Amino acid sequence: MLPRIDIFWKGLLPLVAIALTLSNLQISAEDAGALYNTPYDVSLGERYFERQCSRCHGFDAKGNDETGAPDLTGRLNRASNEVGIFNIIRNGVPGTAMLPVDADLPDTQVWQLVSYIESLRYDPNLVQLDGNADSGLALFQGKGDCSSCHMVRGRGGRLGPDLSRVGESTRPEDLMVAITDPHENVDPRWWTLEVTGRDGVTRSGFRMGEDSFSVRIMDNDSNLWSYQKNDIQSIDRVERSTMPSYDESMSENELDDLVAYLFSLRREEN
Amino acid sequence: MTRLFCKLFTTLIAAFISLGFAQEQEFETVMTPAFSPITWDRLVNAKDEPHNWLMYSGTLDAQRHSSLEEVNVDNVDELELKWAYQIPEIDRAETVPLVVDGIMFITEAPSNVVAVDARTGRQYWRYNHELPEDLRICCGRNNRGVAILGETLFMSTLDAHLVAIDARTGNLLWDVEVAKHDSGYSKTAAPLIVKDLVVTGIAGGEFGIRGFIDAYHADSGELAWRTYTIPGPGEFGNDTWSDDSWKTGGSATWITGAYDPDLNLIYWGTGNPGPDWNGDVRLGDNLYSDSALALNGDTGEIDWYFQFTPHDVHDWDAIQVPILADLIIEGEDRRVMMWANRNAFFYSIDAADGQFLKASPFATQTWAQGLDANGRPVRVPGMAPTYEGIMVSPPITGGTNWYSPGFSPDTGLFYVTAFDGEQIFFKRDEDYEEGERYTGGGGRYDQPMDAFQSWIRAIDPTTTETIWEFPIMPRSSAGITTTSGGLLFSGTADGYFFALDAQTGQELWNISLGRRVHAAPITYEVDGEQYVSIASGNVVYTFGLDN
Repeated sequence: MLPRIDIFWKGLLPLVAIALTLSNLQISAEDAGALYNTPYDVSLGERYFERQCSRCHGFDAKGNDETGAPDLTGRLNRASNEVGIFNIIRNGVPGTAMLPVDADLPDTQVWQLVSYIESLRYDPNLVQLDGNADSGLALFQGKGDCSSCHMVRGRGGRLGPDLSRVGESTRPEDLMVAITDPHENVDPRWWTLEVTGRDGVTRSGFRMGEDSFSVRIMDNDSNLWSYQKNDIQSIDRVERSTMPSYDESMSENELDDLVAYLFSLRREEN
Repeated sequence: MTRLFCKLFTTLIAAFISLGFAQEQEFETVMTPAFSPITWDRLVNAKDEPHNWLMYSGTLDAQRHSSLEEVNVDNVDELELKWAYQIPEIDRAETVPLVVDGIMFITEAPSNVVAVDARTGRQYWRYNHELPEDLRICCGRNNRGVAILGETLFMSTLDAHLVAIDARTGNLLWDVEVAKHDSGYSKTAAPLIVKDLVVTGIAGGEFGIRGFIDAYHADSGELAWRTYTIPGPGEFGNDTWSDDSWKTGGSATWITGAYDPDLNLIYWGTGNPGPDWNGDVRLGDNLYSDSALALNGDTGEIDWYFQFTPHDVHDWDAIQVPILADLIIEGEDRRVMMWANRNAFFYSIDAADGQFLKASPFATQTWAQGLDANGRPVRVPGMAPTYEGIMVSPPITGGTNWYSPGFSPDTGLFYVTAFDGEQIFFKRDEDYEEGERYTGGGGRYDQPMDAFQSWIRAIDPTTTETIWEFPIMPRSSAGITTTSGGLLFSGTADGYFFALDAQTGQELWNISLGRRVHAAPITYEVDGEQYVSIASGNVVYTFGLDN
């Protein structure tokens, strides 16, 4: 069921030859970028990352709110290119827990780390999908009735995540899983809470926020409700998604089209 | 005669004027609180001056209990903000301030300390410790507090130094290098004063260090003794490490211990063996990792030890604060060391000789079938990390961790912040390189964090049964303080500070401070008014009643 995706972002074999040719040259951060970016380099970078970086950034590099380490798999706030990433690794970020790597660590190894981080942030333009994004848009608005729950660029419903930039943060294979098996990996923000207040009235809604002492929900009419936990009779969590599966109701081609459309949703360039 | 009378009159006038001036000076002194030197006797009897918070855990027995009762179960819901102190360097604050006669000493990330008026939060002085750029720290730029003796503060620094600072001015008195920071050593914990010695631990368990506990002479900074937490060749326990693995076995000591003046024993926990998750390269029990050590207060010699998790492969440090109390267990009066361990078991141990008394799980655990008669775990087979990964409870952060538990002599209950969670543990093959991380694997969650749950749990240490529990959001890392006002204060991962009834666990008061609480509360009194302080995010908040 998963779409056949030819991802060329790791297919940089032609550069291997260049890298081998230049491997005896001293590369500095002022150069154009990583020459150490073969699959082998990426794997060495990954090993270094697991050992030295994962304690703060996580083994999946998705960051950690406890340590304050940012997600490295999406858009980076402090670096816009490989040289920027290199400089952060080499110099650290002053005034934060992001310390510089050991001064004795060879540039080669820093570049391998850069290549690994870059591999997490693949270029979507190099991804080729089977589906047609225009057909997917028609399905989104028509047969799928997706827009009754999801907003895209200010239009649509409020009963699911805003998808205006979903293609920036989600890989096509994960989009397919979300459509065909929506109960897999439900973000706690989209769990349903059933809260019975002191007045005996039960309200059901999306889990906008829950903490140790209070909870906030939005019901299906978009009403926002806030409760103190010590002032309610009961609270039940439903950790399933409210979204239906499209596994049966759409053909394989239609699912591919829908994924292609969703993957095309990213920040509009001016 | 007349001349003599005039001279006497003039002298009296002068004396009167000078007396008046002196009285005015005294008045000024009252306006600016002054502290008298903190002697060893004052530290031993810290319970008798509850208006002060004189050491990391409040008292040498580390109970974190204050006999103050102005704020109590009947009025705690009237607490209001008195002041907030914003730490200028943005990082997370794990500081536990000290309060000495109206002056509060707050440590800040990365390794700074500031003295403020405890009634207003306004600054007297600041000490900024200069740090090198090539620090080796595993888990953030933290500092948990200072110790005080006489008029001198003692602080650990991230570059593995111990510094002595004049408590009246912030001037640096001495600065000693405890270990080489570029080899992976660092220091984050508040030292503990024992007589005229500054007892202090070391961090770096993720960098293949060899752990130790040091004592320095308070006046000079000269090393008095060092006790390695991994025995060297020829010493008892060295054969619990295969090959040369003892040299890089970790067993760090990065939290503050306790002391018993009658037994003259220092109690201190040790961290994980290294590498954390790959035990293949360090076969054996790996003494004294994951242990409680009882050290002679004068010489540092190990009097007894109790190893909670022999040959640990899950990073379950015994880096917790030991709490001491007199208890009756099965009809016998004992001095007891209470310990809620990261491995999810709570232990009551005889503080005099280390005899195992009782234990029970206080958080979800799947790794042990139970403990034998000596307290040694009977393991569930197949729970060691694999290359592919295996699900185990508790997760790496444990059933609890470094954050302080509390004990109330009023209720007889031990209180701990507990976490019911699970994690996939996996191992990797790594070679040791000096100054580089040496962990051999890691762990990952396979559910969103909100699917788990943390708790404040109250345990009867005479039976080790959990008496009550109060739910809070997952991965809370706040410490606990109790008072004779019948209160338990703590914080949450989602930025609350709250009070429970220490007897029943009933919620009495909470306030949202907006950012995670990583620290433990303290309480103190100035001019007859009780205050409660807690660090949240990068701010130290202080509350009191509206008097």
